[in-house]
Amino acid sequence: MTQHDEAQQVHHHYGPQHSTPREGPPDPELLERTWRPLPGIVGFFTVVNYSTVGMRFIVTGFIFLLLGGVQALIMRTQLAQPNLDVVSAELFQQLFSTHGVTMMFFFAVPMFEGLAMYLVPLMIGARDMAMPRLGALGYWLYLIAGITLFVGFILGVGPDAGWFAHAPLSSETTFTPKLGMDIWVTAIGLLEISALLAAVEIIVTIFKCKAPGMSMARMPIFVWAALVMSFMMLFAMPAVLLATVAVGLDRMVGTHFFNAAMGGDPTLYQHVFWFFGHPEVYIIFTPALGVVSAALVTFARRPMVAYSIVALSFVAMGILSFGVWVHHFFAIGIPPIGLSFFAAASMMVSIPSGIQLAAFIGTVWTGRVVLNTSFLFLIGFVVIFVMGGVTGVMLAAVPFNWQVHDSYFVVAHLHYVLIGGALFPLFAGLFYWFPKFTGKLLNERLGRWQFGIMFVGFNVTFFVQHILGLQGMARRIHTYDADLGWGTFNLISTIGSYVLAFGILLFVVNFVWSLRSGRDAGIDPWKAPTLEWSVPSPPPQYTFVEPPVIRSLYPLWDPGESPSGVETAADRGVALRPQIREDYRETFGTSIMDGEPESRINLRDNSIWPVLASLAIGIAFVGAMFSLWFFPIGAVLFFLTMLGWHWPFSKEVAS
Amino acid sequence: MSVRVGTPMLPVYTLGPKSVVWWGMIGLIAIEIVVFSGLIAMYFWLRLVNPSWPPEGIDTKGLLIPTINTLVLIASAVAMVVAKRAIVRGNQRVLKLGQMVAIALGMVFLVLKYIEYSGYGYDWTTHAYGSITWTITGFHTAHVISVVTKGLVVLTMALRGMFRPDRHLAFEVSTLYWVFVVVIWIPLYFTMYISPRL
Repeated sequence: MTQHDEAQQVHHHYGPQHSTPREGPPDPELLERTWRPLPGIVGFFTVVNYSTVGMRFIVTGFIFLLLGGVQALIMRTQLAQPNLDVVSAELFQQLFSTHGVTMMFFFAVPMFEGLAMYLVPLMIGARDMAMPRLGALGYWLYLIAGITLFVGFILGVGPDAGWFAHAPLSSETTFTPKLGMDIWVTAIGLLEISALLAAVEIIVTIFKCKAPGMSMARMPIFVWAALVMSFMMLFAMPAVLLATVAVGLDRMVGTHFFNAAMGGDPTLYQHVFWFFGHPEVYIIFTPALGVVSAALVTFARRPMVAYSIVALSFVAMGILSFGVWVHHFFAIGIPPIGLSFFAAASMMVSIPSGIQLAAFIGTVWTGRVVLNTSFLFLIGFVVIFVMGGVTGVMLAAVPFNWQVHDSYFVVAHLHYVLIGGALFPLFAGLFYWFPKFTGKLLNERLGRWQFGIMFVGFNVTFFVQHILGLQGMARRIHTYDADLGWGTFNLISTIGSYVLAFGILLFVVNFVWSLRSGRDAGIDPWKAPTLEWSVPSPPPQYTFVEPPVIRSLYPLWDPGESPSGVETAADRGVALRPQIREDYRETFGTSIMDGEPESRINLRDNSIWPVLASLAIGIAFVGAMFSLWFFPIGAVLFFLTMLGWHWPFSKEVAS
Repeated sequence: MSVRVGTPMLPVYTLGPKSVVWWGMIGLIAIEIVVFSGLIAMYFWLRLVNPSWPPEGIDTKGLLIPTINTLVLIASAVAMVVAKRAIVRGNQRVLKLGQMVAIALGMVFLVLKYIEYSGYGYDWTTHAYGSITWTITGFHTAHVISVVTKGLVVLTMALRGMFRPDRHLAFEVSTLYWVFVVVIWIPLYFTMYISPRL
């Protein structure tokens, strides 16, 4: 290869190392050409842009919410009256297991990953995520995992040992002989990899791609929440990966991790799984609180009260949530010192949430509230989540916990926390950002009806379950006798669940109607403070015509100014801005703490390799259910796709 | 604030913490540290619930081969670090040599590992002890195989002269990961070979 060729190749990947800065105004047409996805079906599989991938996560997550919701309705129908036989006991088992897996892993986590992927680059002023292809790979893996789960369920081999699949029920093929638990291992394993990729991508993006001048202390709360969520995924997801792999090994190759007869220990599974399982709740809840913060500030029309304390309480919550996992199995016989420690930690973790709620209330109290649908959902969130938090503190008290363990009291508690703490904020966020995503406003009238119906439906469904639990109704039972006297409350609960489902159906109607004939949103329908409201709706693929610089926490409310005579990172950003090329996918690389411009990051563009790499990993994981040989085959294929991914290697050569 | 004349150009090719690829590798390493920590925790948990460890009827592991093997692995990381420092100074010869030596030592490690494990009269189905030790070993060995394979790719790049003092990100992150795979072996070695003797 001649020097000239090498120089050409370098040029192809990075642009010349010493290009000349742009002269004159930015050129949106050139940006449009640079960032355009490929046309047609090829474009569908090769697109890597954050907005497309993020939206795919959101839409797919919503479809899983609907699927999991239908499963819940079938279960509630079965339980509406004593001794019904709408579905068989075996199918009921698969229903509650798949419902839990779907809602925890395939709806909540990817949904908030998607929101973070879509919103973080917009909020920090970057043109794309730091590693666009990694995000695309994560999406394809998620899709393969979800399809595997539901194909299994439709074929009658859904997971059948509960969503947390306690061993040895899950790990011994004598107890769960069907393929269902192998599918659980495969689907969860693939999903974990997807989540870990997203976590790394979000962290690196927030660390390195903030706009010049955006120091840590000027990051929107939502970005803080996305950062904490990603760190929690980084430390929690490997534990569930270990748990699933160990179950898979016990089932498929005959190890004895959880087989007490051969030196294994079932309680080991509970520790490894719940070390993930509790942080998982906060992995879902933290970004939801981020959504709340973003919408709350806009609709209270004032800056967040105690911004830095709220940001730090996110970090504190993330750390504390790793110290409470044992409260999920207080009933198995834990030494007293362990009980005391984990009970105390479980109560302590409510303190950061309390701080955040106090700040939220303070913000609303001193603000001028815009009472729209989004804000109604925020109110719904506070009411329901506080109820869930109160029953959570009750459950942290060990003697009480023993009484209601595995009862409907726990079912009620976890739905109050997860629906109150994630689904209501999510709808608040969807009403808030839908105009940005699509350029159309959702219908307010339908939205208010949706909120009212969902709020009533939710409480009717789940409040009575507290009482059922105290009356002794165990979770996961297929049916119950009439003389137990649970029929009335169960019927109320079932009616409530249909009301709740109707509320969600209204959202689907609203979504479709508004997409076709909603009012135009314009750039900034809410007069909001953060950067995503400074670009057109929906944002162009290149996001910002001119890379923004940041001088304050709420740039659209208060542009801020540099102290006289001092040159700040933002000023240097303004001077360096013409260097960011428009004929290559480039964005500012900045320092982690201060947002000091350091480099131009060359972002990778459209590529077929993410989807091929996901197929290689899919072959390894899905194939391993049938023959372990698929694992090495998948590994070799994955290696080949990695070669293609990085090809050509000549980018290392100096020009 | 007026635009200064002669603003220096921002670099587009960066190394170390200024590069997103470097941070991506740190992210991968952080994930793997958690996985290995979990495996070590599982090992000690299983040890605690079993009355004797290793269980009756399972030979205690010999120390000779694994100790030599640990030293071999550490030497391979040293070779990588030497090669990395060489390319920073522009020394192509030591770069290539260091990568070759590291790959060779990695292969020696794999061969010795094979000899060691084929000598044991138990496998993962014998007892939970076998399950956890074979799993830890298998998982770590897969890592050694992957760094050796990746090393071959990087070596090809080195032989084609693709690295320069200011352009060797692929080599830098490759070294980072190699050193991680070696360093994480040391606690695994103490867990599996030394701790049962204490």
